[in-house]
Amino acid sequence: MGNEKTILKIEGLRKLFPAERRLFRKVRKFVHAVDGVSYEIREGESLALVGESGCGKTTTGKILVGLYEPTDGTVVMDGRDVTPFLFESYGKAENYIRRVYIDKFKNGGNGNHIGNFEEYKKIFKDKFNGNEREFVKYILKDRKKEMKNLRKKVQMIFQDPYESLNPRMTIFDTISEPLNIHNIGNLKEREEMVAELLDAVGLTPPETFMFRFPHELSGGQRQRVAIARALILKPRFIVADEPTSMLDVSIRTGIMKLMLKLADEYNMSYLYITHDLAVARYMSNRIAVMYLGKIVEMGDIEEVLKNPAHPYSKALLDAVPVPDPEVKREEPNISGSVAKPINPPARCRFYDRCPYRMERCKKDPHPQLREIAPEHHVACYLFEK
Amino acid sequence: MEILSVKDLKMYYKTKLGYVKAVDGISFTLDEGESMGIVGESGCGKTSVSMTILRLLPENAEFMGGKVLFNLDGKTVDLVSLPESEMRRYRWKGISMIFQAAMNSLNPVYKVGDQIIEAMLNHNPKLSMDDAKKKVAELFELVGLDPRRMDQYPHQYSGGMKQRAIIAMALSCDPKIIIADEPTTALDVIVQDKILREMKKIQEKLNMSMIYISHDIAVIAEVSDKIAVMYAGKFVELADSITIFKKPMHPYTYGLMHAFPSVTGERKELTTIPGEPINLLNPPKGCRFAPRCPKADERCFSEDPEYVEVEKGHFVACHHPLEVGEVINFGE
Repeated sequence: MGNEKTILKIEGLRKLFPAERRLFRKVRKFVHAVDGVSYEIREGESLALVGESGCGKTTTGKILVGLYEPTDGTVVMDGRDVTPFLFESYGKAENYIRRVYIDKFKNGGNGNHIGNFEEYKKIFKDKFNGNEREFVKYILKDRKKEMKNLRKKVQMIFQDPYESLNPRMTIFDTISEPLNIHNIGNLKEREEMVAELLDAVGLTPPETFMFRFPHELSGGQRQRVAIARALILKPRFIVADEPTSMLDVSIRTGIMKLMLKLADEYNMSYLYITHDLAVARYMSNRIAVMYLGKIVEMGDIEEVLKNPAHPYSKALLDAVPVPDPEVKREEPNISGSVAKPINPPARCRFYDRCPYRMERCKKDPHPQLREIAPEHHVACYLFEK
Repeated sequence: MEILSVKDLKMYYKTKLGYVKAVDGISFTLDEGESMGIVGESGCGKTSVSMTILRLLPENAEFMGGKVLFNLDGKTVDLVSLPESEMRRYRWKGISMIFQAAMNSLNPVYKVGDQIIEAMLNHNPKLSMDDAKKKVAELFELVGLDPRRMDQYPHQYSGGMKQRAIIAMALSCDPKIIIADEPTTALDVIVQDKILREMKKIQEKLNMSMIYISHDIAVIAEVSDKIAVMYAGKFVELADSITIFKKPMHPYTYGLMHAFPSVTGERKELTTIPGEPINLLNPPKGCRFAPRCPKADERCFSEDPEYVEVEKGHFVACHHPLEVGEVINFGE
């Protein structure tokens, strides 16, 4: 463990949404949807991101595919900082480069978590002699191409197959659209690629499905189409946002097995977003439990589910109904309900609902993730001396 | 004591293309204080069963036969044959219902308390306003809501609180039976757990009967004394919940049990039932599960299996019921 190749590394990711609208004045209230989230995903691995609705798990995923811009934080892919290419506007990308690189070059900050920090430092000093504008220009010179490239590597599967497919496009058009955008292959080659994928996702024979429309397909079949669309560019990494929660039980297992099989065949990694711990356990080898924008516990999934350490993970696990009438579950030890994290106080996010809260938790900032066992990290003062 | 007895209930939806056989010969009984779960996939007709019992059906629905015998204070009435004006007396007071996506069924422009009072006054016009308010306050206490929230509007409630208010509303006329259709489906697990515990407590306290309807076998397992498994408009198996889990006899029940991942115990391989549920519009002859069943033979495709009691309280409709401990393989 630990020496597999890391393909994605996220450091201090934050996303704030304005919680009010003010004319001519600065917005002061923000929903801290994702607030300092860090994790990494290794090659061929699946990380489950679990939590209740509103905890920021989907927002985290959407940032990775470029559907939201991060407020702060760094996304490193294959050892290279790709954050500048997640911004729609040049200005924001420039701000990011100034904040993360140039300021640190000048004031001697640390950027060791970014693989290419030293390389950029050298380029900045030697090639541009400290000329900030030229340096920014240099990094962002192929911005549009890089953005496209990034989207090729990271794809997303959405929750609701009834809404994620365009009803006016045939299955072939839907699956081959990415090829169109990235200018890959001619019509005949595309047809072959689509047929091959339809076969791989179990829509056989492909010819009978290619020119149908989504309304002619069932929910499970639609989700298979959505998976095929995500796979057509041979991505390294897939963000799967509750891909089975809208499907019926007998269909669901088929989709889960298919995704596991494809991950193996195409050597892909998953960020598997779900609220269902049982599904997470089936689909992933690692887990990160989120609560109000923070990861409170992370580690090997069997280890975390067997020995949950954080009071929230414990409650969450205790609340999962067990499909066995002879099992009597303990009542989860948690009070209150999830609040919206609008300008939350600096202390532990779970403070208000925590049954074990201490004097210290009230004053100190939100605890850092600490390793309490091999492959098991917890953010809680109960585990600090 | 038996409080509800449904006999060979049939209700079809009439469409241009023919009849959709949503409820096709359902039979079961429910005792006082007992809770039953109906589990099945979407489109199998489980919601239609409850709507048929309560006779809350759209215009194109047609009764095709059967009886719903409801036992209230020693008198037995057949709800199917009652005139609508009579039926209204039993709805809500006799049998009430918690609807699917109930959180969205509160009216946003009325105070939550007033909505419950309205339902109460409708069924009991003699009730005074003060008494009604007192009763709502009691109900709020019962479902774990602060009675001061009576005067708030639905948007001031969280999802779980709305669900509690809906439960309070279902309880408002002291029903004998509550039908809860996916009562916790849109809620987070921790909230779901709290609501289910609350409902179980209330049921015991008031000695009510419950019918839970859900697609989630784990939820059903936790709250039900007995479980009916529904597939394509029919009950395929019905037994007490432990029997259903330990000794399923219908291949579909078996498949369903093994299709759920679990957070506890061994990490096991999951079963995939191949294919998709059949269309209920003019279904073909024979067992409706046959096209997806690994045990199906010629007979299954031509002859409808009868729904028979194989042991006391254990009903199954299958030509080739499973032996205890039999493992079946659905293939890939």
